[in-house]
Amino acid sequence: MSRRRGPRSTTDRLRRLLIMLPWIMERGTAPLSEMASTFGLSEAELVKDLELVACCGLPPFLDEMVDVFIDEGTVFVGIPRFFTRPLRLTAPEGFALLAAARVSIDLPGFDAGGPLARALRKLEAVLGSDALVVDEDRPAVTDDVVSAISAGERLRMRYRTGELGEVNEREVSPRLVFADRGNWYLIADDHLRGEERVFRIDRIDSIERTGEIDPPRAVAAPSGDDWFRDSDLPVVKVRLDDAATWVTERYPLRSCQDEGEHTLVGLTVADENWFDNLLLRLGRHAEVVEPADRAGRAREVAAALLERYERDEP
Amino acid sequence: MVDALTRATNVLTLLLESRRPLTFEQIAHSLAGQYEGSEQTQRAAFERDKDTLRSVGVPIDTEVLGGTDAGRTGYSVDRRRYELADLDLTDDERRALQSAVAAVHVSEGDVGILKLGGGASEHATVVANVPDVPGLAVLREASAARAEVTFTYKDKERRFHPYSLMLRDGYWYAIGHEVTVDGQRTYRVDRIEGDVQRGDDGVFVRPEGFDPRSAFPSDAMLIGGEEVVVARVRVDAARAAKAVIQLGPDAVEERGADGSVVIAVRCANVDAFRSWVFGMGLHAEVLSPPSIREAVVGWLREMVAPGGAR
Repeated sequence: MSRRRGPRSTTDRLRRLLIMLPWIMERGTAPLSEMASTFGLSEAELVKDLELVACCGLPPFLDEMVDVFIDEGTVFVGIPRFFTRPLRLTAPEGFALLAAARVSIDLPGFDAGGPLARALRKLEAVLGSDALVVDEDRPAVTDDVVSAISAGERLRMRYRTGELGEVNEREVSPRLVFADRGNWYLIADDHLRGEERVFRIDRIDSIERTGEIDPPRAVAAPSGDDWFRDSDLPVVKVRLDDAATWVTERYPLRSCQDEGEHTLVGLTVADENWFDNLLLRLGRHAEVVEPADRAGRAREVAAALLERYERDEP
Repeated sequence: MVDALTRATNVLTLLLESRRPLTFEQIAHSLAGQYEGSEQTQRAAFERDKDTLRSVGVPIDTEVLGGTDAGRTGYSVDRRRYELADLDLTDDERRALQSAVAAVHVSEGDVGILKLGGGASEHATVVANVPDVPGLAVLREASAARAEVTFTYKDKERRFHPYSLMLRDGYWYAIGHEVTVDGQRTYRVDRIEGDVQRGDDGVFVRPEGFDPRSAFPSDAMLIGGEEVVVARVRVDAARAAKAVIQLGPDAVEERGADGSVVIAVRCANVDAFRSWVFGMGLHAEVLSPPSIREAVVGWLREMVAPGGAR
């Protein structure tokens, strides 16, 4: 359970308690530290909540009580009586489990016929869903990259970069593959630059396994929008009005600034044609702010296309 | 003063263990002094406790009682509905689900896995960010229960029978039947405005053999639209193959000697259609109908005009 800052609300504490109690009752005993980290609490918070709940039970609150106690850094259960079964899954929890299982089954490294498929069938039997369908493609090379990560093996890869799509070769230690809004990315240690980098997997032309094994290094998956740091690619600042803010949902942004009526975004331009076409799609709802030499680009592209229409006027 | 957490836990214990519905007076009496102050203050505190319990998912039922408590409201919690059904997961199935939750970021997944007896999330080497949209959980439940939903989409109230939810290219779509217009529709879930309201269960039957992949519009141009018109678009050789793959060979009306094609596109959503055509940049031109061609030309003229595109 993720850790929250600030004072904990009664709702949040109760919610955790109704999960923690069955969890500890099933186990009978657990180290305080392990239980605290599992439920995203400090040990002091956990002790406080367990001490409170040990005073709960049935009137007259003498013998029929929730029987948990803490001794020398260990949590114990006396007689499991109340709250031996977890509270049912809420709608968002049920959705999350089904979606996680459905998406994972298609990820490289998961076995579509294995225990996950069986778990998914059991979940669906209880939650009643045959409704979720996942239809995501990925570049063919993705699975080989994932297999190299599992083996801890260094890769030599040809990667298309820069404005003109030039290809260069680099050696990387792949760490994590992740998908975001339909695109696939690789986080790797780039030995050309001696730093961690994000690569777009659809820009990898080919990979070759080097046979060299690197010590493992855990990399946390990025979330939000601030992760895309492929610094070889140019960034263009574009000011969007309301009708163009769909761009902020669709593409990874290097920056995003709310200016009231407008939004100023930094877009990574991996492909010049893509950017020209994006300008056409945005029309007069967007303004290129930086760099200055791109400021007239939208008008140029529109004029070129308009010329085609005027030439072919029926 | 008794801690609100203690009191809510005691109320829940009492309701779970009681064989009959309990009135507020009986609950307050049983909890001997845990509700303090005037009756009004006590009732207000009880209302807050009920809200807290409901907000974490406790199903509290209410009924108006007869007999000696005639006219009073009785509260109960049905243990069978309160408790998580036994999924009967084996250890390897539970571990697989735990890995799935570690790999796919959907909020509340980690809570769900703890309820199933799993541990804290582990490290994953493949991760998928799945967009979190508030309406998804309700839509999924409604789809499973065959319940009608209502929501606002593009400023219009929709009455919808959700057949399926599909994740494609990083977005969730709801595919099903729109009741008012009596036709199949696809909506992007993150574009739904406000809440999704769930109506009665069991009001629709999903068509036999329904497959959302084939029911899904071949592209965004049919999503959320009303009237379908067929537009003809000339696509240059550079982009022709891709467009034919996207729309299918049956959509091709003419093939030019230079490799270009004239392709028929079903279009219900002009914004999405224009976006699709402009995605091919200089390589595509709308030929007809005149209204759509003019709309495209008008868009470009606005960009070129002084004070247009900047």
